[in-house]
Amino acid sequence: MRWNGILKIVGVLTLFFGLTMVFPLLVGWYYADNSVMPTLEAMALTFATGGLLFLFFRRTETEVITQREGMAIVAIGWTAVGFFGALPFYLSAEGFSFVDAFFESVSGFTTTGSSILTSIESVSKGLLFWRSFIQWLGGMGIIVLSVAILPFLGVGGMQLYKAEVPTPVPDKLKPRIRDTAMLLWKVYALISVAQVVMLLAGGMSLFDAANHAFTTLPTGGFSTKNASVAHYNSAYFDGVFIFFMVLAGINFSLHYQFLRGRTLAFWQDSECRFFLGITLVLIGIVSFNIYGTVYQSIGEAIRYGAFQVVSIITTTGYATADYETWPAMSQLILLLCMFIGASAGSTGGGMKCLRIMLYFKFCYKELFSLVHPRAITQIKLGGKAVPDDVMRSVLGFLGLYTGLFALSAVLLAGLGVDFTTAFAAVAASIGNIGPGFGMVGPAENYAHIPYFGKWLLIWCMLLGRLEIYTIIIFLVPEFWRK
Amino acid sequence: MKIVIIGAGEVGFHIASRLARENKDVVLVDQNPEAIRRVTDSIDVQCLTGSGSSPTILEEAGIDKADILLAVTDSDEANLVACLVADILSPTTKKLARLRNAEFDRYHDTFSENAPHIDTVINPEIEVVKTIERLMSVPGAVEVGEFTDGRVKFIGVNLDRRAPLAGVLLSEIPAYIKGPRPLIAAIVRDEKVIIPRGNDRLKPDDLVYFLSEEEHLLDTLVLFGKHSRPLKRVLIIGGGRVGYRLATILEEKGIYTKIIEKDPRRCSELAEQLNKAVVLHGDGSDQGLLAEENVKDMDVVITLTNDEEINILASLLVTRMGAHKTITRISKFSYFPLMSTIGIEQVVSPRLSAINTILQHIRKGKVLSAISIKGEQAEVLEALALETSDIVGKPLRDISFPQGALIAGIIDNDKISIPTGESVIAPNNRIIIFARREAIPKVEKILTVKLEYF
Repeated sequence: MRWNGILKIVGVLTLFFGLTMVFPLLVGWYYADNSVMPTLEAMALTFATGGLLFLFFRRTETEVITQREGMAIVAIGWTAVGFFGALPFYLSAEGFSFVDAFFESVSGFTTTGSSILTSIESVSKGLLFWRSFIQWLGGMGIIVLSVAILPFLGVGGMQLYKAEVPTPVPDKLKPRIRDTAMLLWKVYALISVAQVVMLLAGGMSLFDAANHAFTTLPTGGFSTKNASVAHYNSAYFDGVFIFFMVLAGINFSLHYQFLRGRTLAFWQDSECRFFLGITLVLIGIVSFNIYGTVYQSIGEAIRYGAFQVVSIITTTGYATADYETWPAMSQLILLLCMFIGASAGSTGGGMKCLRIMLYFKFCYKELFSLVHPRAITQIKLGGKAVPDDVMRSVLGFLGLYTGLFALSAVLLAGLGVDFTTAFAAVAASIGNIGPGFGMVGPAENYAHIPYFGKWLLIWCMLLGRLEIYTIIIFLVPEFWRK
Repeated sequence: MKIVIIGAGEVGFHIASRLARENKDVVLVDQNPEAIRRVTDSIDVQCLTGSGSSPTILEEAGIDKADILLAVTDSDEANLVACLVADILSPTTKKLARLRNAEFDRYHDTFSENAPHIDTVINPEIEVVKTIERLMSVPGAVEVGEFTDGRVKFIGVNLDRRAPLAGVLLSEIPAYIKGPRPLIAAIVRDEKVIIPRGNDRLKPDDLVYFLSEEEHLLDTLVLFGKHSRPLKRVLIIGGGRVGYRLATILEEKGIYTKIIEKDPRRCSELAEQLNKAVVLHGDGSDQGLLAEENVKDMDVVITLTNDEEINILASLLVTRMGAHKTITRISKFSYFPLMSTIGIEQVVSPRLSAINTILQHIRKGKVLSAISIKGEQAEVLEALALETSDIVGKPLRDISFPQGALIAGIIDNDKISIPTGESVIAPNNRIIIFARREAIPKVEKILTVKLEYF
């Protein structure tokens, strides 16, 4: 581990991140609200820290980065970005304690979307925009963006990319990682703009449309309204949101292929079929379950059922209905959705459909070999054999995910949070969803979680966003050994 | 520029990593998932697992948009088929293939004129024999490269403590020499490449790279403390394909040659094919045998077995026993930095030779030859100064030449000169450029920039 090099790159990332604060500054300046000064101060602090780190370590050679260093840079980088992203909140006069500001910022970057704000609409426009904008940055990944834009990362960019996007089956769209990262960001931005246009067409104001697009595409779920999307109570908007949430839950390289003219790209991808299939089936069950019990018309049942299932399975976390009043079966399905999550290579969180699929295939193979002990079988994905090490990493991931979930839930309950809330808050944090059940349900917020509980959830959100390994590796003694 | 490489072996891997560092688009294809993983773990290229001769895989690799296809798998047949398929799918792609079987030697031209249309066939064994010949011909040279068809040599020598030039300031060199002076292009000191200026001093144990015309070469080498001795007796340890090729050439030149080979059957084959050379059956690291065969009188001992550890040990052994010079064949690149430390100066590697040859063909523009030196930290390029390129027709000091690169020589109708700030490059002059790795993409651009308008 060459800490000098790590700190140098973290310094550059911080500098770069400071630059993005120009956008909320412009918004705050346009609305002439009181977010301008705190944002300026935050920007100055960010630049100063990043600049000092870079100046201090500028002579360090960073052309080659090892995998271990890549993980350290990404983990430290994300924590740093969470910290500096919290500054505009903390420095503002809107009463954020430090832990609250940090919680809000990390919840943004990790695209979780759980908030400690009790009244969102009273927050200044500049800060609201910042809140949405950091979700947008975090969705496709601040590291991926840096790799795309900062040329100096060069070869080392690949290790960073792998540490931030640890999908089991990586696919490079272009020979060079920089071009790949750039393409993904272009596709991401393009779809975001499409959503803004669609929302404007429905009569939403530009500010709200931009904010909502910035939180839909990263499957974040921050809203500028207290009542989330329910505020608009419009079937058109619900439809637009459902459509774009589903898009955000699909692997972005498929979007690229589709835009390049491979119209069957979505259908040909087995994970995408699985994701769309399971979403449709669950929508069907939930709608049927709430039809007659909660909603009297079939249209309403499908509209609210579909929105909520899509919102949770893509790990966005918008709400149009208080699903805690729904029958237990629907609630449990939504809880299940928190664990399934969206596709690998999408902006969604959770365990990811790909891993779930591979896990089922693995289970089936085990059962099959009980019946035919001498059979040689191979787990296949899209017609290709899945290498053993990929399978091992998937199983390890699922084990760690559930283990860390259980551990954190027990810890949170130990801090005095009730059963349902502890369970759901951790599931919603580690899966990057946002709203859970109980005291953190869709109509509630996270303000009342105890002090240490918030830190625990911050850690869970980072764990979930960087897909466990990049964060948990820091706790492994072997990682620190020389 | 997009390059598709078939085969992620040592050669494929190295070329891929070189080109990836120069920001070229590289797609690497290999059947072995392990080899692919080694690549994805360390270099920024796109990888495909599958057969390089499969049309589907080649299409997936984007062969239609590729400028160059490089077939360097371990199998000659696979390389040929890959080129053939690529020729059908994308006839405009330039194709380079590695063919090791000597039977193909006579058909290299046939392959380029007929069906697979392979633009360049590379046989690493031929390349390595050429390298050995060059090393033998220049006393004391660690590296020998040739420009303008051998009339200008690019030489790397370790500076002796007692050499006339040891400890001399570069700007003082003209005072020491009456005749034409050597053009010192670079110094490698403590594993670092230095592009020297007038106030740099040559220190003992420096590895000095210089350019020299062939006729002045021997005089120049004396300045570096290297005295020539006639080449009369050569011992080759290892009678494989390279050993055999080399022995035939030495026989033709009338040099007294001995070959030591372990395998008795191979020995009788060699004895049958060779006329004058003495074929000895035995172990190349057997001290008794070496003493019996008067190794101390050998001008050069070349160790060419397939086992590089044996080669290294045999070279050390014969040096201790009094052989004047050794040339050692090594394949593992990770051993290269060790060699000078343990006292082995002259090293050849079929893979490195293949890489050098391939690089010449990949370099854009009018690059005539390219030699990479010292752990690939730098390259020496010989290029034709095109009439339309930016470097022609004005004094050098007005040209913004990339940092880390240097014009080491200008060749105008066989006359080689050291450029100064006032020198002007005339159209169609050949220039020799020394460039550090990071400057290479920019150098390429300077050489070709205007060409791209056509």
